[in-house]
Amino acid sequence: MAKRQRKENIYHKEKANLVRTKEFLESGEINQLDKSVDELKNLSDNYEELLDQTVLITRISDRLQKKLDKTNDKLQHLNDQLNDKNIELQNTIDDLVKAKAGRKATTIVFVFALVLFVFSEALIEPYIDSYANNIYLSLSIKAVIAMSIKPLEMLVEDSILKAARKSTMQARQEKENAEVST
Amino acid sequence: MEKLIIEGTKQSPYVDFNAETGKLELSGRSIPENSFEFYNPLLEWLGEYAKSPQSETVLKVYLEYFNTSSSKYILEVLKKLKEVLKSNGAQVKVDWCYDEDDEEMMETGEDYEDVTGLEFDYHEIEE
Repeated sequence: MAKRQRKENIYHKEKANLVRTKEFLESGEINQLDKSVDELKNLSDNYEELLDQTVLITRISDRLQKKLDKTNDKLQHLNDQLNDKNIELQNTIDDLVKAKAGRKATTIVFVFALVLFVFSEALIEPYIDSYANNIYLSLSIKAVIAMSIKPLEMLVEDSILKAARKSTMQARQEKENAEVST
Repeated sequence: MEKLIIEGTKQSPYVDFNAETGKLELSGRSIPENSFEFYNPLLEWLGEYAKSPQSETVLKVYLEYFNTSSSKYILEVLKKLKEVLKSNGAQVKVDWCYDEDDEEMMETGEDYEDVTGLEFDYHEIEE
């Protein structure tokens, strides 16, 4: 209510002019020609003033609306571009995370395969030599180790990626919570 | 007559009216909470100034943005300046400044010139 009164306050002069004219019309002075002419002149001046204001404010408002509309279009366009860039960026980040996870998985699996190889050479091979003495069994064990490398690498890579995504989600959630609280 | 200086804020423009030099300035953003309260002192000052103005009065207007109620009062400020013109031999000029990419603000100046009949000079300000 107070805000509305403040807005109406800007027309206090025009309101005062209108009240004065109405009072004149209700008074007996309206029958006096000279006073009526003066009042009519005042009224005409006030009307001209209001017309000037109306013309100007309408033109300015129209122009402002046009400007706002153009700005809105620009913002929409920029927003679309930003969304596209965001998707591109997210894809690049995903690729980078995937590559990083791949490298990490390869290292882990390589170390694991090395340990398995050493384990088979040091412990299983002598056992086969002493008890079974079968070269095919030995080769099969090595082949199993070699063939398990790729699936194992994929499994490790998958779990690293899951962990990375979970960590990213958590970081994003924490950031959003912090923004909401501020 | 005392100078009228009002520091600009995010919502109200900077005002520097100097009766001794006849140089008046209104610049910044004009979206005051209460335009009447802000502009009324300016109109009163100009009313006084119009009684004994300098031979040449220059109003520099460099507004970035103003709201509708401000546009009404800017018109009143210019109309008060027109009263200065009625004083013997006094000249009044409006330096209307606008940012180089703000064509709308220049056109707004042309509207004011059209309505008030005052002499306007337009200045494009490089950002």
